[in-house]
Amino acid sequence: MLNQVLTISKFTIIESMRNRLLWLSFLMMVIGFVVVEFVGELAITEHLATQVSVLAVFLRLSAVLLIALFVVSSSLRELQDKTLEMILAMSVRRSSYYLGKLAGYILLAVIVGAAYGLLLMVYAPLQQVLIWIVSLVLELVLVVALALVMLFTFKQTPAALTGVFIVYLASRVMASFYLMSQHPIIAYDSISQKFIDGFVAAMTWVLPDLNRYTQTEWLVYGTGEWQQLWPILMQTMIYLGLLSSVALFDFYRKNF
Amino acid sequence: MLTALFNKDRPLGDVPKSVVGLLLVTLVLQLFWHSHQGAEVARAEDLPAPMSVDTYKVMSLNESIATSKLMNLWLQAFDNQPGVSLSFHRLDYGRITQWLETIMQLDNRGHYPMLVAARVYGSVTDKKRQRIMLDYIFRKFNEAPNQHWRWLAHAAVVARHNLNDMELALKYAQALREKATASNVPYWAKDMEFILLEDMGEIEAAKVLVGALIESGEVSDPYEMNFLVEKIKELEDKSTK
Repeated sequence: MLNQVLTISKFTIIESMRNRLLWLSFLMMVIGFVVVEFVGELAITEHLATQVSVLAVFLRLSAVLLIALFVVSSSLRELQDKTLEMILAMSVRRSSYYLGKLAGYILLAVIVGAAYGLLLMVYAPLQQVLIWIVSLVLELVLVVALALVMLFTFKQTPAALTGVFIVYLASRVMASFYLMSQHPIIAYDSISQKFIDGFVAAMTWVLPDLNRYTQTEWLVYGTGEWQQLWPILMQTMIYLGLLSSVALFDFYRKNF
Repeated sequence: MLTALFNKDRPLGDVPKSVVGLLLVTLVLQLFWHSHQGAEVARAEDLPAPMSVDTYKVMSLNESIATSKLMNLWLQAFDNQPGVSLSFHRLDYGRITQWLETIMQLDNRGHYPMLVAARVYGSVTDKKRQRIMLDYIFRKFNEAPNQHWRWLAHAAVVARHNLNDMELALKYAQALREKATASNVPYWAKDMEFILLEDMGEIEAAKVLVGALIESGEVSDPYEMNFLVEKIKELEDKSTK
């Protein structure tokens, strides 16, 4: 089984090279560099803090966008080209295929995260950048798993990508929504308000709190500590397990 | 690599002439359409009121720090809108303090809003507007004296020399002495009253302030250092004219 997983992940990486994913990542780095140099020229003070914060946000979002786009588009192409059917016609378990894909994409996430971190090292302290990179990679691991779930569920690029971005955005802002619902400016006691508050609270239970991941504050104010990565790592492992079981559940039920 | 990219495609001659013709026609149509559109006219826009801090947090996916830094640049450039240059006198200073407050709440460790309050918006010749900025600085100082002491020191000099309001200047100096008690606050700031009472000229007082700030290591950003040096040069030029 391990050999099958390794082979599939190897071909996933080869495909990413052919799709020029790394070139695209490099292009995003160049754009990020040009933008922050321009932004830095505008700032009267805190110019390094301004550059670092803008660059970190730009790189984080572009990494999420690139990885999600790549995972969804390349896997769906395999589905539509009947390559998946051909693979499954051989003695390959569905779980091996899934794990191989997952491993290959995670390795790509590591490469993209590390490359982006290299650019940040120009502007921020090394240790803080390393903490930021580890956190970004863990965030991308969840994006990869989420993208696999969505593509198996929807089997259409627009629907799968919309699903990924809705869950991702909700995971980033749900903690803020929860705080806002707990301390409203004008408190209403209606049933609909209670339902919405309850829904928001429930969402905070089932979504990962991506708000704690890859914080810009670490780079700007040097507040990142290695210990902060433990809860992030634990959350990633748990949620990766959850997403993988959802994906496998759906994958095993699918007829090709 | 590039050759491989281009060689993958079929030759240009394989494209039907109708497609090439359509491409050229639509391109010409677009240029024609654009040339018949009315020219864009630059209009000065009033500074809108900021939304709540929570709204900005949610809209930026909780990237509060980056949002506050970008807002700094946006607000700083508001006097220079596309095609229009507004004088600071036309800006609503009440609104500006609301924006500065929002930016501070998004990143309360940054000092950018205080710098622009003191040295950009606070350096206009309109005394009423200057007072709005000085009041804002004093309010922020009272919230965190050991964080904002240097801006109040600057405000004291502005009150003394630009507003000629010795009473206000001494009120600020007294607040510095009483509230800015942390070890990082240098003695000259705590003894601000002497600088004011010694009856120095505006440029001398500004030089003492900036020189002392640089010496105390509070200003480490080279861009801010250049900005401060330029400000002193401006004052010197004004006094020689």
